[in-house]
Amino acid sequence: MELQILWAALIMYVLAGSLSIISFVMQRKPERTILAFLVLGVVLHTTAIALRWERMGHGPYITMFEALSSGIWNLLLVYTLVYWRIPAIRATAAIVTPILFLMMGWMMLFPPSEVGHKPVVYHTIWLYIHIGFAKAFISTVFIAVGISGIILSRRTEYGEIRFAHLPNDSRLDDLSFRFMAVAMIFQTLMLITGAIWAQDAWGRYWDWDPLETWAFITWLLVIFSLHLRHTYKTAPRTGALLVISVFIMAFVVFFGVPFVSTDFHQGVGRS
Amino acid sequence: MPDIPPPGIPSPGIPPPGFPSPDISKPNTVVRVLRLLASLKLTLVLIIMLLIGILIIYYTRTRFVWALAIPFIGFAINLTATVLTNPVFRRQMALLVFHLALISIALLIAIDWLTYLKGQIELVEGETFSGQTLSEESGPLHRRKLNNLQLTNESFTINYIIADGQLRRADTSNQVEWVAPDGRSGRSIIGNQEPLLLGGYRFYTTNNKGFAPIFRWRLNGADTDKIGAVHLPSFPIQLLQQKNEWTPPGSTMPVWILLQIEEEIFFPDKPSNLRVPDKHTVVVRLNAPQGDNDQRWELKPGDSVRLPDGVLTYQELRKWMGYEVSYNFTLPWLLTASVLAVLSMGWHFWRKFAARPWNPNSGESKLGES
Ligand code: HEM
Repeated sequence: MELQILWAALIMYVLAGSLSIISFVMQRKPERTILAFLVLGVVLHTTAIALRWERMGHGPYITMFEALSSGIWNLLLVYTLVYWRIPAIRATAAIVTPILFLMMGWMMLFPPSEVGHKPVVYHTIWLYIHIGFAKAFISTVFIAVGISGIILSRRTEYGEIRFAHLPNDSRLDDLSFRFMAVAMIFQTLMLITGAIWAQDAWGRYWDWDPLETWAFITWLLVIFSLHLRHTYKTAPRTGALLVISVFIMAFVVFFGVPFVSTDFHQGVGRS
Repeated sequence: MPDIPPPGIPSPGIPPPGFPSPDISKPNTVVRVLRLLASLKLTLVLIIMLLIGILIIYYTRTRFVWALAIPFIGFAINLTATVLTNPVFRRQMALLVFHLALISIALLIAIDWLTYLKGQIELVEGETFSGQTLSEESGPLHRRKLNNLQLTNESFTINYIIADGQLRRADTSNQVEWVAPDGRSGRSIIGNQEPLLLGGYRFYTTNNKGFAPIFRWRLNGADTDKIGAVHLPSFPIQLLQQKNEWTPPGSTMPVWILLQIEEEIFFPDKPSNLRVPDKHTVVVRLNAPQGDNDQRWELKPGDSVRLPDGVLTYQELRKWMGYEVSYNFTLPWLLTASVLAVLSMGWHFWRKFAARPWNPNSGESKLGES
């Protein structure tokens, strides 16, 4: 049942995505319809995740399938909210949709397996706060990625024409770095709450385990981008490339590092 | 919020009286050096240095503190110089607070490096800790107060549950009795995530725990017995390795102690508790000198064996618990500084963004449909 609901959600996302790509090519603006599909998709997806949570007794963060599903969920939740509230970013739908399609395709490669058990160290409220900030962080960068995509695609004649109605590059750059600034705050909170959790769970707040190390390096990359842009007044295109590299880095750290080592953090596994 | 002082009126964070003011027309050498040190390009270089330092620590797995200390000290100098010379920090209070919080974090981490302690302890049920760790490391400025406190492991339970067809450890609950350095005493229940706080030290139980046969030993010629506990390797992770070498006090001949468990402790299909097996045998083996066959005895509680150096009596089997003790007194301050950093950063961006609308073309805020 919950899988059917999940598929229905994905279909809504695909509809919203396809519609935004088609409307981009046809230069139309069916924004209300796209928003409706997005909202419907997120609602269905939330239901599917909640049902699975209820049934499995643990949240969507144990298997790769769950991590991807909930990753797609939070990207779309935040994206839908911003889509609704900040019209300036609506044109990014055509840019971010392909990324989401790739993630959905990737998710389908993993069986929605029934295994998965939550180690004891996960029994704490800090886990949810920590993961919440992590999700808020990557979702916010995701929006900056959409804007950066517009800036970069304007280097082509096609993109130039299609996005002609949007504000100029430097305004978009400003907007994109606003999202980066907000993302940086979420990311900092993620690191702090992670340290609190680690202190609770293993009696040390920081130990340079793979995930901690790479998350911190990602944070440095964000700080570096903000400072670089500030110090050198970088061109919008450079800013866009920085944003995209932060997203790639964060994505690899989120979905790569925890699943290469068998548990989320090094300390978790021992029995 | 008086964070933007009117021009000419000094605000916190600017040079103290008598210090050359940064905006006099002909800067002297001090000011020029300060401005050089305040360069934001230096900040970028330092961030990259920190990044490299982290990678060095991560990949070499050393505690090569300079790899981190140098960029941190660099940040502190860079930031102090900027606070003194860059007017932006006088105009933007939030940004100043943020960067000051960052300096405090760097300082607190440095203090933590100098004063921390981290150690491992093992206590059999009934045994009291009074300062002797199995292993420990500490910063050069740590003032060790572990000998002034006492911690007795009274008893503990660990629940095991079955999940995905596998046995998994659930909660640990350990009753301890303690005496603090100031003489206060009491009893607490602690666990892997609920430490006991004693004189600034935090004691956590760990997942390192197991069984320990208790022996009474009478050395030849001695007129009193000694009691010894032989900690066998961690259980159940080392289930098949329940043996250890031990030299009774005063003896010259080490013996091997092996535990044979003759009943199920954990059941494959139902939750269980870590408990001492009623049915078990302790095997004592003496490595005979040169050529002779090894000598081997199987003991039940109460059984004695005559060894070349004395008489060994097996008394009973108990459980031991491994503890981790740590001392990091900067922790609450670190947390405070971090929270301050985040709040001031939020405040900075809030003001910055509120000054211009989020929607560059405002007016287009209704959902368009065409
Ligand atoms: C790892 C440490 C650091 C972090 C996390 C950090 C973070 C930030 C952030 C987020 C901003 C705001 C950028 C914006 O408004 O767009 C900023 C601005 C700034 N930072 Fe840092 N910074 C760090 C180190 C330093 C150091 C060492 C200096 C010393 C020179 C410094 C000097 C400044 C200055 C002068 C500004 C610009 C203020 C302005 O003109 O608006 N930062 N920093």
